[in-house]
Amino acid sequence: MQNALAVSLIIAVLCPCIGVFLVLRRYAMIGDTLSHASLAGIAISLSVGGTPLVGAFLFTAACGALIEYLRAHIKNADLVLSVVLALCVGAAVTIMSTGRLGVSVEGFMFGSILTVTRGDTLLALGLCVASVVTLIALYDRLLFIAYDEEAAQIAGVRVRLFNYVFSILTAAAVSVAIRIVGVLVLSSMIALPVAAALQLGRGFKATLAFSVIFSVIDIMAGLFLSYYLNVAPGGFTALVSVAVLFIVIIGKNIVKAVKRGKQ
Amino acid sequence: MITAQGLYFSYTNSPPYALAGIELSINAGEYISVVGDNGSGKSTLMRLILGLLRPTRGTVETRAERIGYVPQRSDYARRDFPLTVGEMLRSYARIIKADAKAETAGVLALTGMQGHERSLVGDLSGGESQRTRLARALIGSPELLIFDEPSTGIDRGSQEEIYGLLRRLNRERGITIVSVEHNLTAAMANSTLIYHLHGGHGHSCTPEQYAEEFLKPGLKS
Repeated sequence: MQNALAVSLIIAVLCPCIGVFLVLRRYAMIGDTLSHASLAGIAISLSVGGTPLVGAFLFTAACGALIEYLRAHIKNADLVLSVVLALCVGAAVTIMSTGRLGVSVEGFMFGSILTVTRGDTLLALGLCVASVVTLIALYDRLLFIAYDEEAAQIAGVRVRLFNYVFSILTAAAVSVAIRIVGVLVLSSMIALPVAAALQLGRGFKATLAFSVIFSVIDIMAGLFLSYYLNVAPGGFTALVSVAVLFIVIIGKNIVKAVKRGKQ
Repeated sequence: MITAQGLYFSYTNSPPYALAGIELSINAGEYISVVGDNGSGKSTLMRLILGLLRPTRGTVETRAERIGYVPQRSDYARRDFPLTVGEMLRSYARIIKADAKAETAGVLALTGMQGHERSLVGDLSGGESQRTRLARALIGSPELLIFDEPSTGIDRGSQEEIYGLLRRLNRERGITIVSVEHNLTAAMANSTLIYHLHGGHGHSCTPEQYAEEFLKPGLKS
């Protein structure tokens, strides 16, 4: 449980930090595609006797780079994600169907606290620290690429290079998160805390901070409640995230109504 | 400052060309308005000058250490983006390695946007939004300012403020201005040179020559 808690906190910080840029670039569904890439990476890694998290990170990073490469040739972003999703699902299903994995991948599909080891925790911590340091170093450039890619390019930002770097960061977040929340609901962890924070109508830094706060609430509540209810943590965390989003929306409307009443 | 020679551009790398045989020379300190019908190639020419597109044939050379660019307002409509004016300006200043605090204060004062540092960019009115975008383009003291349609989507009062500011920047600070214009009255009143594009072909003339050739009597003044 200690390892699960530590990895959950890491995810709670990392996912919205990446998610805020993805959501604002209207690219939130990349999380869904990359979570399937992560599953394919785990399947490849297990089939050759490797560490699942390392396999997940390497294959997901490769798929992130492939998405960037295809974006230069296929203008429709949804189509790019569909192509890479087909590759990932195809690879994962093919490898799993060989029956050579030796372990069940169900834990990765739905998220499982019990599969988290101390080694996974340390690896996740390393990826998280590296990602957060990179995000801080590239903050202004990534912000401007998300806000106005053309202006960033004119200011001398090497947009394509930073897009590749960002896809590696996304891969890191996805590979770390898949252990707790699972493949099927991972994209919700990237998008929902950000969606709740956006309701508050603040600036970028405040939105980022609130995204992390909501993410911590979602994941911690999801983890503890799923443990006591004996249900999959990933699915329950997604339900908590949706509930928090609705609470924020309703709260915002109540505050608005009260303000209008006072005027 | 800007030279284009035998410039051809096609989005498919083959005919028909969006721009064909463009010859253009813009000296430092000019205020040039690029005019023409929709689809005549104005924005394509700007993107070539900015280096966002590569010529299919010919050359375009821009000799400026720093270029400020204000894109078309419709290209920029990110009203849902959670960003304050101050965050946007400081972030841009840091990217171009300018002094974020001093530059932000300077351009906000220059564009009359003091007091809006904490406003969300999506909450600004049309005129405020245009001045904020101009403020961003002025960070780092550019020698060349490229403005794609300064008057689009803003009221007459805001238009006058923007054009007044552009005139001051050109005459008092010597900033070369290239403006894509739909507003012919503004083009005639402010420009030292007009570049007229039609069907991908272009030619330079003075505002007076342009008025003689193309404008109805009411617009000639």
